[in-house]
Amino acid sequence: MQKVIETLLIGLTTGSIYALMSLALVLVWRSTRVINFAQAGQAMFATYIGFEISSRSGIFWLGLLFAIVGGALLGAGVDYFFMRVLFKHANTGPAAVVAPVIATLGLLGLIRSVVGLTWGGEFKTIEAPASTDGYTIGSTTIPFSALNALIIITVSIILIGLALLFQRTNLGLALRASAYAPEIAKLAGIRTAQTRTIGWAIAGGVGGVAGMLVTSNNFLSPYSLDLLLVFGFIAAVIGGLESMVGAVIGALVLGIGLTFILNYVGTSLVFIGGFTVLILVLLIKPDGIMAKGKGRRA
Amino acid sequence: MRKKIAFFILLGWALLIIGDRVDELRVYQGAQIAMYTIALASIVLLTGYSGQVSLGNGAMMAVGGYSAALTLNNLQTPIWFAFLMAILVSACFGSLLGAAAARLSGPYLAGTTLALAVGLPAIANQFSFLGGEPGLLFDVGFPPERFGEEFTQYKWFFWIASVIALLALFITSNILQSRFGRTWRAIRGNSLAAELAGIHSSRMKVLAFTISSALAGLAGAVLAMTISLVAPGAYSLTLSFALVTGAVLAGVSSLPGVVLGGAILVAIPEIADALAGRFGNADSLNNYLPGLITSVLLILSVIYTPNGPGENLRKHLRKKHAH
Repeated sequence: MQKVIETLLIGLTTGSIYALMSLALVLVWRSTRVINFAQAGQAMFATYIGFEISSRSGIFWLGLLFAIVGGALLGAGVDYFFMRVLFKHANTGPAAVVAPVIATLGLLGLIRSVVGLTWGGEFKTIEAPASTDGYTIGSTTIPFSALNALIIITVSIILIGLALLFQRTNLGLALRASAYAPEIAKLAGIRTAQTRTIGWAIAGGVGGVAGMLVTSNNFLSPYSLDLLLVFGFIAAVIGGLESMVGAVIGALVLGIGLTFILNYVGTSLVFIGGFTVLILVLLIKPDGIMAKGKGRRA
Repeated sequence: MRKKIAFFILLGWALLIIGDRVDELRVYQGAQIAMYTIALASIVLLTGYSGQVSLGNGAMMAVGGYSAALTLNNLQTPIWFAFLMAILVSACFGSLLGAAAARLSGPYLAGTTLALAVGLPAIANQFSFLGGEPGLLFDVGFPPERFGEEFTQYKWFFWIASVIALLALFITSNILQSRFGRTWRAIRGNSLAAELAGIHSSRMKVLAFTISSALAGLAGAVLAMTISLVAPGAYSLTLSFALVTGAVLAGVSSLPGVVLGGAILVAIPEIADALAGRFGNADSLNNYLPGLITSVLLILSVIYTPNGPGENLRKHLRKKHAH
């Protein structure tokens, strides 16, 4: 029983980090109709900035702040200087459909090599903002640590912040409107292009947080966030790619499920487990768990 | 048809002559170009013709490489049988994946295949019969004695790779010009219209996936031959990236372009090496410069010539004609 609860708690931590990555992917997908594979690169770049700041100042939270800002700026920059150019040029011929996806892949490679050239390939660590020793209850020590609790709290704050932004502000309304029906939003006076760039910025910032949190108890390298991208994508697919709530739920389910596999079966099956989930969801419920009835498809 | 056979025989003869005239390194690079050519043909068939994006060709190559190595090591079969097994096993994998993929459109398919490219090489690390990180040996043996003392190992690789590549290209180009090629293009152009014309589009997509995976698996086995082993590191995400780049650079729907694409992919590390040497050979330069060049080329070509340089040329000529 104790092991079950431990696994649940660790899974919740893992899942909450996946949630950020999958939210970042969903945000971009909703506004741009592109799965942004460069998200892993953007988050990695932001995390390297966070690493620089936090290792020089010794304050993790300052690093996190810079990672958010850096990630957001980079996200906005990618949309403004890259995606707009791309959509202007690559819009005819057989490759038009595949061009955006391939372009984000190229961008991932570009960011990876720039980071590699700047910081080198060796593993970096970011000092965790809280103890990584497990809590001791009575006489037993569980693997759930203060850091895990802090990760869950940080992610919750960000999720609440995003929910407020999307539900309670004019900007949130504009973001939702231009994702839901860009033409009508434009008619209603929303500057959809700017709104889209802001969406990319938000996604970039959220990705930066995901990178920092993953790295707080792991290594950072130019390749270290690839797996986070994959799991974030799987979580987003579970949620149906469209729904932000679905992305979060999907990420938590995936995180907990994979942690159960890790603790009860072994490391070797974690990725296979994740991939199987992806294929099963795509075959059985391709619109995701949050899919509404046919009549109200958004 | 007869013309085409003659052309391929002529091409093979030219390769034979060239292979005799150049030094060892170039011969080895020739074998690599042949390997990339097969791998790129698999992308052209899948993406350029049937319109499905697969970012996981590196993973399919891994399947081919590992099945060839397992066959050769455990059953002590002749080499050609190992290559055949690579084709068969990866075709089976491909049809399974294709069955799932045929229901998927753009983003789902791209993401799923990317997940495969990230994960599959890592899986090989986890299972002992696949040799873990150091991988498995894949030794096609010395060249037959009747070729003489002068005949080097690399030349043997080059011969095998070239023959396989020529055969693969010949078969692929015939498939693409056949009913199947036309059907795939119809589906790519407008899948609804294709279905109305009586095409079973999902079945045809699965077929495209299967053939493409078979080609990729074959390329994976050839790659294993040139480096004499199969290891997870050889089939990394970087390889999948490079393949996509090669395909886009050469024009994703042009089969003759794959040779050019292969040559570019072999040239990139060489150029990067020369550049890194000029800037003092720092570790980071050696590791990341090839990636930088590859991704910059990929980005530029996808923005400015998404359908390959051939199309831009044709457009340019048409404009000139109009004046």
